Amino acid sequence: MALAKQARQAGAGSNKPTLIRELVEIADYIAHLRNEIAALRANELTRDRLPMAHEELGSVVAATAGATNSIMNTAEEILGLPDDGNYRATVEARMNDIFEACTFQDITGQRIAKVVEALRHLESRLSRFASAVKAKDKGGIDPEEVERRVRNELLLLNGPQLNGPAVAQDEIDALFA
Amino acid sequence: MALDLGMPILVVDDYQTMVRIIRNLLKQLGFEEVDDASDGTAALARLKNRKYGLVISDWNMEPMTGYELLRHVRADEALRTTPFIMVTAESKTENVIAAKKAGVNNYIVKPFNAATLKSKIEAVCGA
Repeated sequence: MALAKQARQAGAGSNKPTLIRELVEIADYIAHLRNEIAALRANELTRDRLPMAHEELGSVVAATAGATNSIMNTAEEILGLPDDGNYRATVEARMNDIFEACTFQDITGQRIAKVVEALRHLESRLSRFASAVKAKDKGGIDPEEVERRVRNELLLLNGPQLNGPAVAQDEIDALFA
Repeated sequence: MALDLGMPILVVDDYQTMVRIIRNLLKQLGFEEVDDASDGTAALARLKNRKYGLVISDWNMEPMTGYELLRHVRADEALRTTPFIMVTAESKTENVIAAKKAGVNNYIVKPFNAATLKSKIEAVCGA
């Protein structure tokens, strides 16, 4: 900022405007860049929002695993029940355990909504920053990313497809017929 | 030929929940001799120590995937005839074809039910 002020003062009425003008432009750009970096609130993102997203997702994983275990424990218990006069009453009681375990969905839904909100903030700020500084992506890809992609392509590690399987079981069966 | 319900089966999956689901489905079908491994490396170690009548493996595991395990099994003289079913969410055509080329006997897409598992085991192990 001081540099820009000095350059403007030095350039006023001067006959060597080109260099001065360029210095002013650079100083203005640096000032603009600093404003945009400040608007990015990178410290807030790394101190609050991203750790929160990590914690929330970790809780979601733990909650789903806990609920799955409860449901499976109950199902295994039901499968092992003796076929006696108490069978129906015991099954009904165990069914209530399953309903209780299913309440995880409400809580995890709320946690995931918080993570989605954090990602929306991150996307919005990065998008604004990239646009403000006219950022262009550096050519090429991160070497670690290249290595990861090569391995995934080689081993066809694509993970579950969005919106269900890419090929239905019937079509796969036809390939093995 | 009826299924040999006493044959040992190796279930390979890095998700214990999935292992438990498959174990229970196999139990429903009458199979009691079920071992498990959490990835291809652990599975290979088990395969070297016990003769299994069937391997049911997930694809997406680290450090050794189910696909790599399949290739190891098919390349090993002592293991190459072991029936191998892939059970996975990886259902793109190229994945299925790659697995078939590598020698998989059948392929099940998650999620699946006991009837599907039973029909594939019957198709692979002969009913």
